[in-house]
Amino acid sequence: MIFDSSVVTAIFGQFAPLAPMIVLIIGALILPAVFFSTKRREAVTAVSMAVIAVSLLFNILMMVDGYQGEYAGLFSYDAFAGIMILLFQVVIFLAALVSVSSSETTRMHYGAYNSLLLAASVGMMFVATASDLITIFLGVELASIMSYVLVAMKRSDPRAAEAAVKYVIIGGLSTALTLYGLSMLYGVAGTTNIADIAASLSTQEFSWAFGIAMITMIAGYGFKVAAVPFHMWAPDVYEGAATPVSMFLGTGSKKVGFVALFKVFLVIFVAANATASFATEEIQYVFAVIAAITMTVGNVVAISQNNIKRMLAYSSIAQAGYILIVMAVMTEYALASGMFHMFTHVFMKGGAFLVVGALITVGIGEKISDYRGLAKRAPLIALAMAVFLFALAGIPPLAGFTSKVFLFSSAIYDNGVMTQWIWLAFIAILNSAISLYYYMRVVKAMFIDRGETSERIKIPRTFAAAVAICFVFVCVLGVFPQLIMDFCADAASVLFG
Amino acid sequence: MIPIEVYLIFAAVLFAIGAYGVVVKNNTIVVLMCIELMLNAANINFIVFSAFTADVLGQVFVIMSISVAAAEVAVGIAILLNAYKARKTIEADSLTSMRW
Repeated sequence: MIFDSSVVTAIFGQFAPLAPMIVLIIGALILPAVFFSTKRREAVTAVSMAVIAVSLLFNILMMVDGYQGEYAGLFSYDAFAGIMILLFQVVIFLAALVSVSSSETTRMHYGAYNSLLLAASVGMMFVATASDLITIFLGVELASIMSYVLVAMKRSDPRAAEAAVKYVIIGGLSTALTLYGLSMLYGVAGTTNIADIAASLSTQEFSWAFGIAMITMIAGYGFKVAAVPFHMWAPDVYEGAATPVSMFLGTGSKKVGFVALFKVFLVIFVAANATASFATEEIQYVFAVIAAITMTVGNVVAISQNNIKRMLAYSSIAQAGYILIVMAVMTEYALASGMFHMFTHVFMKGGAFLVVGALITVGIGEKISDYRGLAKRAPLIALAMAVFLFALAGIPPLAGFTSKVFLFSSAIYDNGVMTQWIWLAFIAILNSAISLYYYMRVVKAMFIDRGETSERIKIPRTFAAAVAICFVFVCVLGVFPQLIMDFCADAASVLFG
Repeated sequence: MIPIEVYLIFAAVLFAIGAYGVVVKNNTIVVLMCIELMLNAANINFIVFSAFTADVLGQVFVIMSISVAAAEVAVGIAILLNAYKARKTIEADSLTSMRW
């Protein structure tokens, strides 16, 4: 058999469930040394690409072979962890690939920059494998603290300094809220293992302490996924940060909050559904209202933006609203399609941010008006950008359409029966129509408006490669969703046990 | 023996004071201090539950969260210093170059 995970267990022994992370941690520790000894950004990128490739190889071996294992009762590798680790590896691969030729990334501390990127993605993967509240908390914090530094590392721009201050304060507030919720949950259940918490809660009545835990945790993780009304930091941070970092935050860091939400809430509620005394439905309604407000506010405010990074940030808030439908519907199919949408979102939004980053590197500004006449100056890049924006709006046959169909249909039908969440699907479809307007503004500027010059521009090769990868996946996943959707379905059935 | 509610109310009051400070204070260093208060309220909760149920996991969690808080403050102060160099002020009301 080609995919045999016994290689991984032979190398890593009892640490095999953590193999993809261990490789990245080793990489993160040697990268500053590589930079100080060679002083070449290309050397650092080559090493980090190699490390990510090895980690990706191990993860694919383990995932396709159906490897399952656990370490110390704190981490467990299963189908859900595998597919989410794959998502974070794709994000880190794209971010590390383009950082080398971006004009916005640091020059003096490039080794440290790369090792922070790798460490942040290790934190995200820890959350994906966590089976205990301690490891979820530590993983989210590892990813967040590294992200604060990555945002502040763009020293040339005073907006980055301001964005980093906002990010660190809002992030700290979110940590405090989450930790308070976790402490209440620990008090109610008497343990920190998630499966044990679910078992313990299924024998209890609803208590006020549990209510406080739910409220503070929804608020805390709401900040992480930038759900309205906890979204105010996101546009500032995405605008202020270097574009590869914005791409990393918008596609990777946001998913960590979702993985933590899935792990904590879905597992608890699936157990709690067995006992009717729990207020599951009230909390589902809370999530449904947050989802509806998030997608509406994100899309409506995005209309009036002139800065393209800020517009993409608001569109990313709206996409978070779509994914929050999973938390309202709470069925296995909804979770699978939510995870599939997280994947397609990486390629669509990641691709759009990469195009913006490439154009900033060749000296085109961040305003939408700077994009006038781009189709004449760089036809392929303009075409790619148009495809990403169409996919985000949900135009068939692109990936965004397919994943939105899965996601919205999960809110309409559950096993052939119409659910109570059909109004949510209605609002989501309405929002997709609104979003088409502001995506089309960019496409119009690129293809119809006349630019001041028609001088051809040439973007750096690494950006072109990364954009090409995103482009291929946006097209392929739209037509062959089963490539990823099969794994997502396996993963969802693991969480729903 | 002091009942568990007394400790929990103490922690909740500490949490509320911290949250109030985050909302009203204009100096970002004081805001960071208020976030520390909120984190410590959660730590007290963990210790109390751990002591009353004779389960050590809560105390393990507190050690982890203290180290996370230390890392966060170290990064936070460095970022404030960076912002001060770029803007010559760290008042929260002055962070207005980006809005909406």
